[in-house]
Amino acid sequence: MAAGIRRHRNHFIFITLALLAGSIVAATSAAVQAAETPRRGGVLLAVIGADPPSLDPHQESTFATIQLVAPLYSTLLQVDPYSYPKIIGDAATEWKISPDGLTYTFKIRQGIKFHDGSTLTAADVKATYDKIAFPPQGVRSVRKGSYTPIKSIEAPDASTVVFKLKFPSASLMNNLASPWNVIYPKKYLDTDPNYFKTNVVGSGPFKFKNYTRGATFEGERNPDYFVKDRPYLDGYKFFISPETTVRAAAIRSGRAYIEFRDLPGAEVEAIKKQLGDKIAVQQVSATGWWGISVNNSIKPFNDARVRRALTLGLDRYTAGRVLLPLTGLRDVGPLMRPGTEWALPPDELEKFPGFGKDMEKNRAEAKRLLAEAGYPNGLKVVLKNRNVKLPYQDFAVFVIQEWKKIGVEAENRPLETATWFSDGRDTGNFEAIISPGVEFMDDPDVMLRRYVFGDPGNWGRFNDPALEDLFARQARSLDPAERKKLVFEMQRRVLENAYYLPGLWWTRRVVHWAKVKNYVAPPNHYSNQKLQDVWLSED
Amino acid sequence: MRTYILKRLLLIVPTLLGAATLVFVIMRVIPGDVALLILGGDQGHVDEKQLVAMRQQLGLDQPLVVQFGTWLWGVVRFDFGKSLWTGQPVVEELLIRLPLSLELALLATLVSVLISIPLGMLAAVRQDTWVDYVVRVVSIGGLAIPGFWVGILCILFLVIFFGWGPPLEFTPPWVDPWTNFQMMVWPVVTVGYRYAAVTTRMTRSTLLEVLREDYIRTAWAKGLREQAVVIRHALKNSMLPVITLIGTEFAFLIGGLVVTETVFTLNGIGRFVVDAVAHRDYPVVQALIFLTAFSFVIVNLLVDLTYAWFDPRIRYR
Repeated sequence: MAAGIRRHRNHFIFITLALLAGSIVAATSAAVQAAETPRRGGVLLAVIGADPPSLDPHQESTFATIQLVAPLYSTLLQVDPYSYPKIIGDAATEWKISPDGLTYTFKIRQGIKFHDGSTLTAADVKATYDKIAFPPQGVRSVRKGSYTPIKSIEAPDASTVVFKLKFPSASLMNNLASPWNVIYPKKYLDTDPNYFKTNVVGSGPFKFKNYTRGATFEGERNPDYFVKDRPYLDGYKFFISPETTVRAAAIRSGRAYIEFRDLPGAEVEAIKKQLGDKIAVQQVSATGWWGISVNNSIKPFNDARVRRALTLGLDRYTAGRVLLPLTGLRDVGPLMRPGTEWALPPDELEKFPGFGKDMEKNRAEAKRLLAEAGYPNGLKVVLKNRNVKLPYQDFAVFVIQEWKKIGVEAENRPLETATWFSDGRDTGNFEAIISPGVEFMDDPDVMLRRYVFGDPGNWGRFNDPALEDLFARQARSLDPAERKKLVFEMQRRVLENAYYLPGLWWTRRVVHWAKVKNYVAPPNHYSNQKLQDVWLSED
Repeated sequence: MRTYILKRLLLIVPTLLGAATLVFVIMRVIPGDVALLILGGDQGHVDEKQLVAMRQQLGLDQPLVVQFGTWLWGVVRFDFGKSLWTGQPVVEELLIRLPLSLELALLATLVSVLISIPLGMLAAVRQDTWVDYVVRVVSIGGLAIPGFWVGILCILFLVIFFGWGPPLEFTPPWVDPWTNFQMMVWPVVTVGYRYAAVTTRMTRSTLLEVLREDYIRTAWAKGLREQAVVIRHALKNSMLPVITLIGTEFAFLIGGLVVTETVFTLNGIGRFVVDAVAHRDYPVVQALIFLTAFSFVIVNLLVDLTYAWFDPRIRYR
């Protein structure tokens, strides 16, 4: 027992040291890069795997939108490009939080120009956040729930924005640094709140140049950018290709210099082997995971014994080894990213169904629970899935073969994305469904909202008032220790009841030519996409 | 002849109407709602009121007959509406992609014809010799090996051995012929190979059939040279099925090269169709299917008219 605990502790220490080492390497590399003399000019050529559903980041939550348009906009705050998760200003130069935590006052930088020549003022910031927090009829705001503490937003003068809160919020600063909350000019929002779904008027380091659906997206240098001498690049251009091999080949041939999202391990190795020092790979443990939502509102998945059996049947540790080279899925973890202060420590995690390392024991227990629930001969499950190979299909194949070992026959039903949404997630017409999540920040408000009943992220439709209470309390708690306790408690409750079956946490591998300087990959593919400091050492 | 062409042109109307009706119905029967997709994004934050408003905005709250009528009236005026997804006029979106698809289809057809007719002829004339075996192996290979695989191999070969890959963005030939060549040559070879394989097989088998006809035996008996027998007497008469095949394949190539377009990052009609179906972008899908049906009908008409040149006995009334 003691040996076991020591082993787990060693494992935890190893992960922590690995993360620390990774951060030091990233920080050192950033420092070294920053020390080089930046070269001006050149166009950054990148490849991306999809077209954006729309160009309005307030209404979207895919990398395909944010990576393309982030360089065109400013945000109020931002995550430090060199030091995730530190928050720094962007349009805001300074801020003040009242002692009761109910008033946030921001000073807006003077002289920021939108690309149409107008000046960015506090009124634009207010209009932007009004659209996000209190969207008008017919306008979608996918992260509206993250701004529920906000009572009102005021702009008493052209350079001051005041957020008044209904209750103190532990995560508001993080959420105000969201890369999705780009600032729009008020005058366009006043005439059409959906204007920015198909148009771009930002104040970022680059100006919109051209977008051809299915082909390319281009931005060019903004000579009036408010940060002096930035950006270094003359422009950037994304080539859109859904085929992974094609994107990897584009990097290998030098037709593109970077893939910001991820490439499979085999491709990364092949690129490194061929191009050697000309290529740099930044590997970071990501704020994203793939798991399985079981429909808690229908039989037999409303029975905790069945859900526990399903989670017990998954050998996550083997999955991490097998799936890493194929998919980038690697780390076993709870509901918060493993290795972070919010994640249940590994030794405690192993006590929950499906996280123990003795798989024989787990499977025996799974079979016992199924028998007790009335399924001594196992059961059949339809596992709905997105018809995207990486990592959806590979992950599902692993899950299905694991479940077979406890007598659960799962049928993989790949659906095109539209049907995966409409005939699965949105309508609840599923027994089990592959459901991933990638967030821009390790904040519990951002990560755990989906375990509250009624939240659109709660695909499994479970309703546990205790979770609602824990979530609300942690969101209001300004005492870090108290908040951590509540966050741990919430994770314990979800895992114990197997409301959701976590799979694996994702590892992001950003491959780029070494001539691309000053890009430090954060743990997600949403933040640090402004490219204002990025430069090319040669064309 | 003129009456025949007129009749055939008039027949285009019910054919296209049939195709349009079919695709209109299919698009509305399959699961998935464009309004839900636009609002749902990839996190499913859907408000029922917003959904109703979005359906109204897209005109999807109208009865199906009204929607169909509106669309047809637009088609008559060459207005295919706007993409539900991007808000851009469908014709504009189409015109961006059409030159690429047409160029690919034309060049692949050219390559295929230049390869397949001589090879098919050679294989038929030298039946059951090593020449025939080689041609058969090569053409069966073209049929059996998936085009996307050939495409990916092609790219990997270039990248691994020469560190070179084709350009990622289409440049029209009239803007920069060399860049256009660098990009188009590989998909043309990939598509042309499969296309040539089909046509070679057809040329060989129809020519073999004709070569067994009595009049060919008579030609040989008259002492005509091989060239005259094969090219002047046999080949021309064996071409009818071959040109039918070439025509059908050409029409297919305009909108059916989804995988090739994906592999070579070509922003053509094929990818556009698939993307539109995935997004339930009804006007785009309807317009593209309409265009494809139109291409088939026109190509078939041209093929039928070509018959008369190959076989003077054919007279159209």
